[in-house]
Amino acid sequence: MIRKSKDDAELDDFGRFSEPALLILVSLAEEPRHGYSMTEDIETIAGVRLGPGTLYGALARLEARGLIEPLKSEDRRNPYRLTTLGERALRARLDSMMVVARTGQRRLASA
Amino acid sequence: MTWLLQLYPARWRERYGEEFGAVLASQRASVGLVLDVLGGAIDAHLYPQIQNSNSKPIKEKEEDTMTLLMLQRCSAGGPKLSPRDQRIASLFMVFSALVMAGLYIGLTKIYHSAPAVQALFYVSVPALALIYGETAYLRKRPWLTQVFILGGGLSGLYLFMLAVCVIGSRL
Repeated sequence: MIRKSKDDAELDDFGRFSEPALLILVSLAEEPRHGYSMTEDIETIAGVRLGPGTLYGALARLEARGLIEPLKSEDRRNPYRLTTLGERALRARLDSMMVVARTGQRRLASA
Repeated sequence: MTWLLQLYPARWRERYGEEFGAVLASQRASVGLVLDVLGGAIDAHLYPQIQNSNSKPIKEKEEDTMTLLMLQRCSAGGPKLSPRDQRIASLFMVFSALVMAGLYIGLTKIYHSAPAVQALFYVSVPALALIYGETAYLRKRPWLTQVFILGGGLSGLYLFMLAVCVIGSRL
């Protein structure tokens, strides 16, 4: 069993929103984005188009846990950016995914 | 499509309504989109993430049982119903029982023992229990949510009983 760090556990109680939340964090890792821009970016990087219900379900959770924060905007499309906590959580989650991916590839190569 | 926003709680709409509307308007209308928004609305009611600025985000307490958590989430006023709430729910249930009895007598006089009338008779008891529960636990929810859940529940029950009565009448 892989032992999770505290940062990596930040996304654990997101239920069905954990994958969309991870994709949002990855999208915001590049630059602050608003909802529409996130769906476009996520479709480009992961090939899935998040519906607004899923997108804002995940966004509300990320914001409530302090992993992202809204930026001031005069436009009605509010941009969001990663917080330091969000950046740490994303790093930790990607690191643990990397460990699993490397292990899987190594085992497949030696099979 | 933006009418779907009305299904979300008022505080949620205040916070995310405009930007959500912008994203919703940018997507092509489809059944999948409607289902996604409906799922999001139900989630926003059951797991409200927006809290007062001086309170902490909602987080499940580890010692709570699943049943208690469900009760807390399903009821706007929490599981503690006051005697007044119980009286209102009881009165509403009695009133509904009288309406259903009147409807049943009237329909029996016209259609006799048609499956649709029989279904009304059989569905009355579970329907009254549902009405009591919904009136008690959903009383502080937006009226649209109440109509959606109560109407959906009653329609589902009636359609199920109607199907049973139609099948039974053909045997």
